[in-house]
Amino acid sequence: MNELINGFPVLTVTGLTQGAIYALVALGYTLVYGVLRLINFAHSDVFMIGTFGAIWTWSAFGFDANSPRPSVGGALGLIALAIVVAAILCGIFAMLVEVTAYRPLRARNAPPLAFLITAIGASFVLSEGMAAFTNRRQFGVPAMLPTDPLFSIGSWQVTPLQLTTIAVAILMMVALDWFVQRTKFGRGIRAVAQDANTAALMGVNKNRVILLVFLIGGLMAGVAAVLSDMKAASTRFNVGFLIGLKAFAAAVLGGIGNLRGAALGGILLGLAENYGSAVFGTNFRDFIGFLVLILLLMFRPTGLLGESLGRARA
Amino acid sequence: MRQIFVRAIGGVALAALVLGGAAACKQDEGGTEGGSASKVCDLKIGFFGALSGGDAGLVTPGKQAADLAVKQYNAEHADCKVSIQAYDSQGKPELAGGLATSAVGDAKVVGIVGPAFSGESETANPIFQQAGLPVITQSATRPSLADNGWAIFHRGVGNDFSQGPAAAAYIKSINAAKVFVVDDQSAYGAGLADEVKKALGATVVASDKATDNQQDFSAIVTKVTSSGATALFYGGYTEEASPFLKQLRAGGYKGTFVGGDGIYDANMLSVTGNADVEGAVATCPCAPATTAKGTFVQDFKAEFNAEPGVYADVAYDLTKIYLEAIGEGKSSRADIQAFLKSYNKAGSATGVTYKWDDKGELDPAQVRVWSYIAKNGAWAPDKEIPKA
Amino acid sequence: MPETPPEPQDASERDVTSERDAAPDARTTVGVPAEPPSGESTPAAAPVPAGKKALLEVDNVTLRFGGVVALDKVNFNLYEGEILGLIGPNGAGKTTCFNAMTGVYTPTSGEIRFQGQKLSGRARYKITKMGIARTFQNIRLFPEMSALENVMVGADAHHKTSVPSALLRLPRYWQEERSGRERSRELLDFVGIRRHDEAARNLSYGEQRRLEIARALATRPTMLCLDEPAAGFNPAEKDSLLQLIRDIRDTGVTVLLIEHDMRLVMGVTDRLVVLEFGKKIAEGSPAEVRQDPKVIAAYLGVPADAA
Ligand SMILES: Nc1ncnc2c1ncn2[C@@H]1O[C@H](COP(=O)(O)OP(=O)(O)OP(=O)(O)O)[C@@H](O)[C@H]1O
Ligand SMILES: [Mg+2]
Repeated sequence: MNELINGFPVLTVTGLTQGAIYALVALGYTLVYGVLRLINFAHSDVFMIGTFGAIWTWSAFGFDANSPRPSVGGALGLIALAIVVAAILCGIFAMLVEVTAYRPLRARNAPPLAFLITAIGASFVLSEGMAAFTNRRQFGVPAMLPTDPLFSIGSWQVTPLQLTTIAVAILMMVALDWFVQRTKFGRGIRAVAQDANTAALMGVNKNRVILLVFLIGGLMAGVAAVLSDMKAASTRFNVGFLIGLKAFAAAVLGGIGNLRGAALGGILLGLAENYGSAVFGTNFRDFIGFLVLILLLMFRPTGLLGESLGRARA
Repeated sequence: MRQIFVRAIGGVALAALVLGGAAACKQDEGGTEGGSASKVCDLKIGFFGALSGGDAGLVTPGKQAADLAVKQYNAEHADCKVSIQAYDSQGKPELAGGLATSAVGDAKVVGIVGPAFSGESETANPIFQQAGLPVITQSATRPSLADNGWAIFHRGVGNDFSQGPAAAAYIKSINAAKVFVVDDQSAYGAGLADEVKKALGATVVASDKATDNQQDFSAIVTKVTSSGATALFYGGYTEEASPFLKQLRAGGYKGTFVGGDGIYDANMLSVTGNADVEGAVATCPCAPATTAKGTFVQDFKAEFNAEPGVYADVAYDLTKIYLEAIGEGKSSRADIQAFLKSYNKAGSATGVTYKWDDKGELDPAQVRVWSYIAKNGAWAPDKEIPKA
Repeated sequence: MPETPPEPQDASERDVTSERDAAPDARTTVGVPAEPPSGESTPAAAPVPAGKKALLEVDNVTLRFGGVVALDKVNFNLYEGEILGLIGPNGAGKTTCFNAMTGVYTPTSGEIRFQGQKLSGRARYKITKMGIARTFQNIRLFPEMSALENVMVGADAHHKTSVPSALLRLPRYWQEERSGRERSRELLDFVGIRRHDEAARNLSYGEQRRLEIARALATRPTMLCLDEPAAGFNPAEKDSLLQLIRDIRDTGVTVLLIEHDMRLVMGVTDRLVVLEFGKKIAEGSPAEVRQDPKVIAAYLGVPADAA
């Protein structure tokens, strides 16, 4: 308990940072669920591919774990570049998963169980594929941003990485919110989520909307992957598993299918884990996270904000 | 999902086992024809451990050394060769069972070097015990492995009881007033951390636990920095230790990072990066392989064009014990087991006298623990830690 | 009255390979009459209004659900600029006929042509883009979206903005978004809905029915199919609906109307097609059809000039 009180400011900031990463990944689960009522288990592995995308980008510029920290301007440039590369890479892989694993099943009206199996299958194909490709090695992330606190107010300190993570996550979420609320694509997504058949009869190309949803989920995962890389400082083929599970839990916590719920759920989970670890020990971290989830679902079975992509004001 | 995950891995292991078994049978058929009447040839020594994955850095040098020993033996016994059969467990207990079963099913395999880690030993050794297939581990240091009544079990290094107090002695020697202890809750890591805590007593101000595959260490980092500890002991492996150390440094922790032999590998250096790993300390119940005796270092370099890595010298000597037995005409698992029980000779590379007690442990007087410090992207041998 | 049944197949899945729009580009908007379609054929049997071209041809269409023959060799044409009533007792196959025209079901045999082009095998969204729009017997709005957004989904059908240009907020995005919004507001006013920003599910029943019409009009149809638009309306609402349907026709949209209310049907339609048990039993002007003994028998106890 003492640890919670003493470390409260730091635990809060680090919890928010981790929560922001969960939230970005959770958006991918919730978008796909909202439109297809499908849990895309391969999403966690799309994220994993993004973590490698960032490392490859940096190594193309000669940065590895042993490189000296670049200048702040250089670091921001490299981060922006890695975000673009990882987001595109993840977007492509997310769409590949849709086109190869799910669309053929939809065309044949496969039962939900078949989707579950191909989802898990796609997840394994990606993670084991990367395992083989990287010889199951662990890769260190080059140092990018300085680690000294950027500013501190009392015992509240924020490092450049934390600020970057939270700012980028907020930016992405605001952009997504706008996209879903204010563009024809967003309307198409919400229309398909609410009534796919009617949407088709109103001229909405359902398959294109679904592809778009996978693309957006992938882009978000790619951004999250770069942020997570810098925070975790290493990656390997199975990093997606735990983060994916947490992000999925965050999506359910907020109300799966609900975009704002995913963001809220991610942040809450990040904080709950950190506070819980401080009080009970880090070995209770996942226990706390999922306990919160179970308790909340007992009282609000549809999550904090309820299940609906339509109702979600993104 | 975890369930599904584990089961799926089980399924893969099962498939591997069936395929491996089939392949092994085929080899058996071909193999027996070649040898002379009295001598059994084409025998195999199994090498069991993480040859891929994040922890492979701890195990592959040993595999190379075993290959070297066999190559040297075969050069002198061209008429009746021996080979190494690799069992790549990735260090995972859930894969170890299937691999052990396939090793047991291959009658040509008469002895095992490994399993390299404690967790996988707990799954694999009962299977070896049932089949009477002797094992000598080069690096599984969990003390309780010796308490299971496995007659086939032999440990070629000291256990955590020797490494733990030595790590504690090291931490005392750098005059750390406040020590934080973290372990990964694995058989190895928790056992080692417990020994360190016992030996350090009140200087341990706090402790915490990490989990397998953990990526985000922010809560522990916060605890460490707010505890004011100037030294931290981590019981666990590189996979978690490396991101943990980096996040500690990013979180402002300036103290010494000490770990057991679980972090004494090249990945710890390359994944963490020189800047953050600099000054980290690893203890190891192994003398530096580079200071090994005889021609080992020379031979290793000539063969692999690299310095011998961790446990290479140990694995080399252990493989040579099996080869010596085979050279004397021992060709059954039982014969080799008997050979090990009465063995009493010093290894050519380590200089350690290999003589095992009833439980399969070495004489504690033989066990030496060294400290290694990460300097300029390499593990530099520091000193042999004096016994407390 | 049967609810819309579970749909046997998602037709939009069929053509995943081709993303291009097959629809011709000349389309009507409200207020702008349609260009006359070309290449039509005129079956000899049906009574042809003088000088009119067939917009839609239902050619010997049969549609079976297992044992149920919902449509049995149905033939009729819809001519440009007319209001055609499709009537018949409950379960006659009227809604099924709409579903076949809009790509929800594929006919078991026979074919449907729109502006001379075959419809079967086309994805639903493409049929919509060709110029066929519809409403539903049981209201199917996007309940969580505002009235305005519901209509904008329809208007989006012809928007060309790409994802990147939306993300970069290029002029085309702004221009289409603005024009789509303005047109949608006009359409809402046209059908008489004032609460543009209210969620569709909170609108009154009558407003929801009219919102469906506005949404369908937003797709810029050449042909509008209304499935029992007056269901549940009071007489005053029916009167204004009658006027609305005429107004829609006057903007150049051809209307196909399913309706049980005979006063409305007789008052607004130019011609009628009568279905019973999946078969066409009569076709002609309202005056002719109302005299037809087969029709009177089908509507047993419901004199055609009552209600
Ligand atoms: N998907 C389906 N599966 C099986 N039968 C169906 C299906 N759709 C319609 N039918 C049957 O086809 C027949 C025609 O139904 P349809 O809905 O077209 O009638 P309708 O003329 O629209 O009637 P109403 O005036 O009651 O709306 C009915 O017997 C109906 O039960
Ligand atoms: Mg009907």
